[in-house]
Amino acid sequence: MTASSADKRKADLKVIILGDFAVGKTSLICRYIEGKFRAHETTIGAAFFLKQWGSYNVAVWDTAGDEKYTGLQSFYCRNAGAAILAFDLNHESSFESLWARFLPLLDNANEDCLKVVVGTKLDMLQPGSREVTQEEARRFAREINSNLDQKKLDRDPYFETSSKTGMNVTEMFEFIYQYCLPLSEDKKISSLATKRTSASTSTVDLNKPAVSAPQRTKCCFR
Amino acid sequence: MSIKAFELVPAIERLKLMSDKARTQIECIDVCGKNLYIGTNDCFVVHYILEGRPTQAGRLAFHSEKQGHKYLALKKPIDQLKAASALNRILVLCDHTLTLLNMMDLEPVMSGAKVKGVTYFCLNDNPVRGNPFSVEVCVALKKKQIQVYTITEDRIIHVKDVSIPEQANQIGIDGHFICAALASQYCMVNFETGQIQDLFPYDSESTKPVVKRISKEEFLLSGPNALGMFVTSEGISQRPPMQWSDNLLGVSYVHPYIVSLNDEFITVHSILDQQQKQAIPFQGGSTIGDFDGRVFISSAKEIYALVPVAWEKQVQALLADKRVQEALDLAKNANHAGLSKDKFLKIYRRFQQQAAFIEFSQQNFDEAKELFKEGKVDVRELISLYPGLMPSSSNFTRSIPVLHEIADINNLSKDNDEMKKDYKRFLRNYLEEIKGTTDGHGFKQVIDTALLKLYAEINWPELIPLIAVDTGCDLKDSVEWLEKYERYHALGLLFKYHGENDKAMQIWARLVNGEIKDELFPGLQFVVEFLSNINDPELVWKYIDWALEKDQELSVKIFTERPSNEPPTERFRPETVIDYLHRFPKAVIAYLEYLIFQKKLEKEKYHTHLAVLYLDSVLQLMKNNNVKKEHLDNARSKLRHMLQLSNMYRVQLILGKVKEQDMHAECAILYGKLEEHDKAMRILVHKLKDYVAAENYCFVNSQGKDPTYRKRLFHILLGVYLDPNNERKDLLVTPAVELLNRNVTEFDTAKVLQLLPENWSVQLVKQFLSQTVRKSMNFQRTVRIERMIARGENLWVKEACIAMQKSPVQMNDDKMCAVCNRAFSDPTFVRYPNGVITHVHCAKNKHVCPVTGKLFSICSKNS
Ligand SMILES: Nc1nc2c(ncn2[C@@H]2O[C@H](COP(=O)(O)OP(=O)(O)O)[C@@H](O)[C@H]2O)c(=O)[nH]1
Ligand SMILES: [Mg+2]
Repeated sequence: MTASSADKRKADLKVIILGDFAVGKTSLICRYIEGKFRAHETTIGAAFFLKQWGSYNVAVWDTAGDEKYTGLQSFYCRNAGAAILAFDLNHESSFESLWARFLPLLDNANEDCLKVVVGTKLDMLQPGSREVTQEEARRFAREINSNLDQKKLDRDPYFETSSKTGMNVTEMFEFIYQYCLPLSEDKKISSLATKRTSASTSTVDLNKPAVSAPQRTKCCFR
Repeated sequence: MSIKAFELVPAIERLKLMSDKARTQIECIDVCGKNLYIGTNDCFVVHYILEGRPTQAGRLAFHSEKQGHKYLALKKPIDQLKAASALNRILVLCDHTLTLLNMMDLEPVMSGAKVKGVTYFCLNDNPVRGNPFSVEVCVALKKKQIQVYTITEDRIIHVKDVSIPEQANQIGIDGHFICAALASQYCMVNFETGQIQDLFPYDSESTKPVVKRISKEEFLLSGPNALGMFVTSEGISQRPPMQWSDNLLGVSYVHPYIVSLNDEFITVHSILDQQQKQAIPFQGGSTIGDFDGRVFISSAKEIYALVPVAWEKQVQALLADKRVQEALDLAKNANHAGLSKDKFLKIYRRFQQQAAFIEFSQQNFDEAKELFKEGKVDVRELISLYPGLMPSSSNFTRSIPVLHEIADINNLSKDNDEMKKDYKRFLRNYLEEIKGTTDGHGFKQVIDTALLKLYAEINWPELIPLIAVDTGCDLKDSVEWLEKYERYHALGLLFKYHGENDKAMQIWARLVNGEIKDELFPGLQFVVEFLSNINDPELVWKYIDWALEKDQELSVKIFTERPSNEPPTERFRPETVIDYLHRFPKAVIAYLEYLIFQKKLEKEKYHTHLAVLYLDSVLQLMKNNNVKKEHLDNARSKLRHMLQLSNMYRVQLILGKVKEQDMHAECAILYGKLEEHDKAMRILVHKLKDYVAAENYCFVNSQGKDPTYRKRLFHILLGVYLDPNNERKDLLVTPAVELLNRNVTEFDTAKVLQLLPENWSVQLVKQFLSQTVRKSMNFQRTVRIERMIARGENLWVKEACIAMQKSPVQMNDDKMCAVCNRAFSDPTFVRYPNGVITHVHCAKNKHVCPVTGKLFSICSKNS
């Protein structure tokens, strides 16, 4: 779904995905939002998706990896609470681009922006075709998040995904939400509950003060 | 992806404008109400009155009339002009100088107010200082500075300066945010705080900067690679970018469309999905602007208006292209000016209805369903697409103008059976969903009839509940349909629902007889239930023979399971029924059982009858040698149960027959009934040697009688055991002792001691004796305790009484009754514990104070 005027309401979290051309950024987001792997046109400039998670609205921004859009990418990074740095497991150059080209763009993002490194096209790995080892990618992911509160990170922010099979895609986004939209225990329950009754999730009053929701559920669950 | 959102209409043509000077060109324009101003490249400001009038063809044509012109004598082009009707002024930028002209006569203001060194200016549509007699203007200067001014009729008042890193080419303002295109990048400036936020870079070589205010705190900028970028005053984007074509010249916005101009095309994008919707070839365009929602475009010599095609027409066109989502999005977001909410909703609903049928015709059933519901489509419009499903009595005709071009579903599915099935499944689901909701309101008959037909066709189990419960099905139509598809059980139910029970029974009888078949028919059971519940003795008697012949035990329920609220009738009197059932022995038994055990009728005739029937069946079984013992036992225990339970049958009659057959257990019961307990127990002890039964006999036969009766029975039994004339009496010592030990309380110890034979050792009856002693000790002590408690209570009450009477009550003539307020004439009176004094007859309740309502409990001391 592309955003329409109705989506002008503010999102609670902005997630941006960066990475070289054709590493599979759009496919990854498409897999997550639509649940399928399908052909699509190359991204022009940027694209935008809204996702409901519990009572939160998450804006997911897809960017074009093309060099010619570099100036815009940094603009689209502004206010991002989480960034997905995507590279192709089968192409080392796409991994190098992450720190050479894309990491600097995140100066515009929030200071405590969570940076999740994602190796894509896991399904295409053949014996010997892997060009980036898990270890180095994991180390990289650790290093670039060293400014964050390590206690809140229960694992290295590194995932290897396949948009074709769906492997690790949802897990990766859930990891971001768990980190960026922390829920108290009982809020978690209520987010599950609203998920189940899907009809009730479709509208969210963003004008409502954010604190009121957990408070209310708290007293209900006590 | 195209749509006709606008039409290009000439507003001012070439000749009329510049007949005199060939090299004069339009540099900029502004429109304010009917006034149109043109700034030329040779320093003229020209004023026209422009009016749009509808032509006969329903289109818009413009008429213009020149009002005057003014030469500013600077020999430079007029770069920008902008009318400020509130001030009756035009703001003109020429030769880097911003000046004010009178809107009507185009004369410069007397004060000569001006700002120099200006490269660009814009008005604040959302001014910070909301004075209606001033406008807020932002200017970009040749030096690296932006300034904000407030302009009144003849003054230009400086408000603020903001320094910027580079010279600004283009600016837009909203509130206190200025979005500026600098030489190499865009930035957002807060002129109150002076804060500058970089947005993104662009290449001024290849990209003409554009800053267009879209709405409150949102701007549209031309980014690199011809991207239209949305930016909020916070410096972020909340919409994805838009792809324009190269060589962009300018941008306008009329909700929901972004109109852009380049050297070859006028291009229309929707702000809703950022997609291109229309492109109009247009060569030589130079400026574009929206003025109070009207878009004008100029070339060097001509001016055109972009007249919006009415949104209804656009939506209709989209629907004709089957672009449902776009059509509805547009309808929702179009400018509904001049429409009341109700009116709009009516129009919108009609679009939804059309959309519903489009989705329907494309088998997009989920979407169709939502739209049918939301659009509140008359359900008959839908049902009438299915041949034969409307009730034949209906005279419905489709609405005009038509909502769709569909003939019927056969036509849609082109004889593809799968698709036809899908269509029918859709209708079934849809009708089931709206049935009983407000959506289905008023169409019960239509909906139920259609459902019945759909169900009947595929033999759907829901058919039965549909008919059985509050159905609105049209009878004639449905009968035909059900017969056609051989749904006989449903047909029966339908007749039943419409009160035609005889017809219903005919069908069910044929089903039971196997003349016709229907899987959904539950069988005879169902017919029996039907007959037992029906308040129509005629019908019952008509079919009862048939039913009993099929199955006696089942069919007798027609008599025994009549509705509890059925008034008693002559036709179902027990005598009548019993007489009738004569031919059906199993049915008679079941019926008598019903009368005796369920209805608890205490009529000797029924009880004796049943006992005799039970006995007969036992005798029958006994006569037959190769009968399983089990069967016989069963029959006998049934008989015994009845003999024991009932007190109504003629004992002697049964006893006579039973004795002949040596049926001892039955005999014992019957003697019990005759209160010949000694005989009964002798049978139990001597004949049956069943000591447990004998003991049990004492309990059973003393039930509901006073305890001495039971004692008597126990003593009789003990007597039987200890009968000195019995030669086998030694064998009975053990049961006798056990009897004593188990039932100590049932015996009178003194009598027992007299009865016991002398030769018995104490050891033998030790247990009995010690229990007896304990029992009487316990009794004695309990009585003593009770006595002492009673005495204590008595003392206590006495004390309370004394306490209450302790204080004197003085009575004199002044004392009045607290209730009736009259004097006391008698010496007697009532005093409540709280001191209230009344007549004796005024004290209605001695526990409640008549004045205060206070409650005095009997043991108030405790509380
Ligand atoms: N086998 C496989 N192919 C993928 C995967 N992700 C993306 N692709 C393919 O890689 C190409 C580029 O993907 P795209 O999402 O457009 O990349 P983007 O430029 O980063 O948005 C497409 O042809 C995709 O089909 C994946 O996980 N597995
Ligand atoms: Mg892409």
